[in-house]
Amino acid sequence: MGEDHADRIERATAGDGRAFDEMLAPVLDPAFRLAMTMLKDRTAAEDAVQDGALKAWRKLGRFRPGAEWRSWFLAIVANECRTARRGRWWGVMRFAELGRLGVAVASDRGWAERLDLDAALDQLPQQHLLALTLYYHLDLPIEEVARVLGCSAGAARQRVHRALAALRPAMAMEVDG
Amino acid sequence: MTPDERELRRALAARSGDVSPEFRAHLTGALQGGRPSATAMPAIAVAVVIVLSVASIGILLMARGAGRVLQGGPASGARLTSPTPTGKGPAIYLPSTAQLSAPSGNVVWAFIADSLLFRSTDGGNNWDQRSLPVSQPAVWPEISFVDAQQGWYSESGSPETQCNADGAAIWHTTDGGAAWQQVALVTSPPTGSSGISDSQCKEGLSFIDPNHGFLDAWDDNHRPIIYRTSDGGRTWKGSTLPDPPGFVTQDGGFSLRAGLVRAFGTTLLVSASGMNGGTQQPEMYVFKSTDGGATWYSVAKAPNAANNIALGTASRWLQLIEPDQSSETTDSGKTWHSYLTDYAQAAPIAPDIVFGDQLIGYATVRGSIQRTTDGGLHWALIETPGVFWPG
Repeated sequence: MGEDHADRIERATAGDGRAFDEMLAPVLDPAFRLAMTMLKDRTAAEDAVQDGALKAWRKLGRFRPGAEWRSWFLAIVANECRTARRGRWWGVMRFAELGRLGVAVASDRGWAERLDLDAALDQLPQQHLLALTLYYHLDLPIEEVARVLGCSAGAARQRVHRALAALRPAMAMEVDG
Repeated sequence: MTPDERELRRALAARSGDVSPEFRAHLTGALQGGRPSATAMPAIAVAVVIVLSVASIGILLMARGAGRVLQGGPASGARLTSPTPTGKGPAIYLPSTAQLSAPSGNVVWAFIADSLLFRSTDGGNNWDQRSLPVSQPAVWPEISFVDAQQGWYSESGSPETQCNADGAAIWHTTDGGAAWQQVALVTSPPTGSSGISDSQCKEGLSFIDPNHGFLDAWDDNHRPIIYRTSDGGRTWKGSTLPDPPGFVTQDGGFSLRAGLVRAFGTTLLVSASGMNGGTQQPEMYVFKSTDGGATWYSVAKAPNAANNIALGTASRWLQLIEPDQSSETTDSGKTWHSYLTDYAQAAPIAPDIVFGDQLIGYATVRGSIQRTTDGGLHWALIETPGVFWPG
């Protein structure tokens, strides 16, 4: 961790909003992409990132010096997405929208295939979707995926494998370590 | 990169999106508004926070001694005077969230944006803000009231991965939220005597009378448990929901989550939904208990797993989403038929619906509230307290 970063954390922990804003800037994009992929709804994703940012600021005192800021923040946002999806109505929107889309694009083979995969992603358990998003969409190394998931690198690799298997058994992909 | 990997990356990217300049500016503004701190609260709220913090530190030290982080809230059982609501809450913009608890047709409670508690005694025409037991609600707060005075508030802790473990804290009020007393605390590892395990995430707080209430527990890998209390929330016992016929609970997210328990005489009903490990499809069921929640059995499968079930009576249930998609059963789920209602909403999602009695019910989607006074045929928008519409 650089001296600037450590100083920024110290100032942000003391309540300096500008310092926290500077910390947030480089991780905002991946956090939002994570939330969008998990929630598929811009308003919900913005809520999750904003709530995650406020919680991160509030909990900054618990951030261990030397720990990876990006993975720490992504883990908080992932938890916010999980909380959002815990709402009983959440799955409803996904299935309802899917039904509508299915009618609209059924004639387009390419779209239909993508829709098929998207539908499969919708139906994945959250932990599987999170693992795939971190690894294949945010392109995080498996060690960082593990930090966000809160498990070992081996367990993270296994989770990505299980997610792929659940998604489509025929998918031929290797998980690099 | 294999074609499949390319396809997966493309599918994930299609779900994703970039931060808009508006949101970036909004977030910066929100952060520059200042980190939430005790200094911004009224003095009485500060006093409450201090009491709660001292209690929390005690439990935290115990938890640290045990080598794991505490899940849950303060342990004090003392009666606390809540922070007085200002009457003009912070600006919450719709769309947001509203949890409703309707102990009768006219008495309805609304918990807005997990932050502000309101009560109406005239069917939602007028609202008055009430206090919460905490100044800043934590994770997944819920309310359940049995009349205009008596109710419970619960929070969960920070859930472990896949909801393997989670804490919970439950408070009780008998004077409409003026004062709250903590009646149960679940820590990880367990230190109290509430009877609620620290395993699984907690949600679905529902009381049916001043003594009897329920709390659901679920995770991604096991069957859900419904805890029940008969002493107002002090002690609890759990019962596992069995797999309905054709449903297979499996590791990795293929499990059921229960909803709110409703009582109709001695009959208890609760809906539960989740991904079926056998079919890999979402399913929704209704479970019944006639022994106070000690045992549950599945009695019906919903025609549409994506819609919530509103339990109006012991035998009449509704699934509402859009006028042409709504359905009704009047024989406890044995048969379902199309239900003509004028219920409509902007958001393409099913509402949460609670009935205060056979005729009066409330539906909420993203913070907006509609009311029916004829059992669900006709609906009218009513005021959501404490919020502002953007623009």
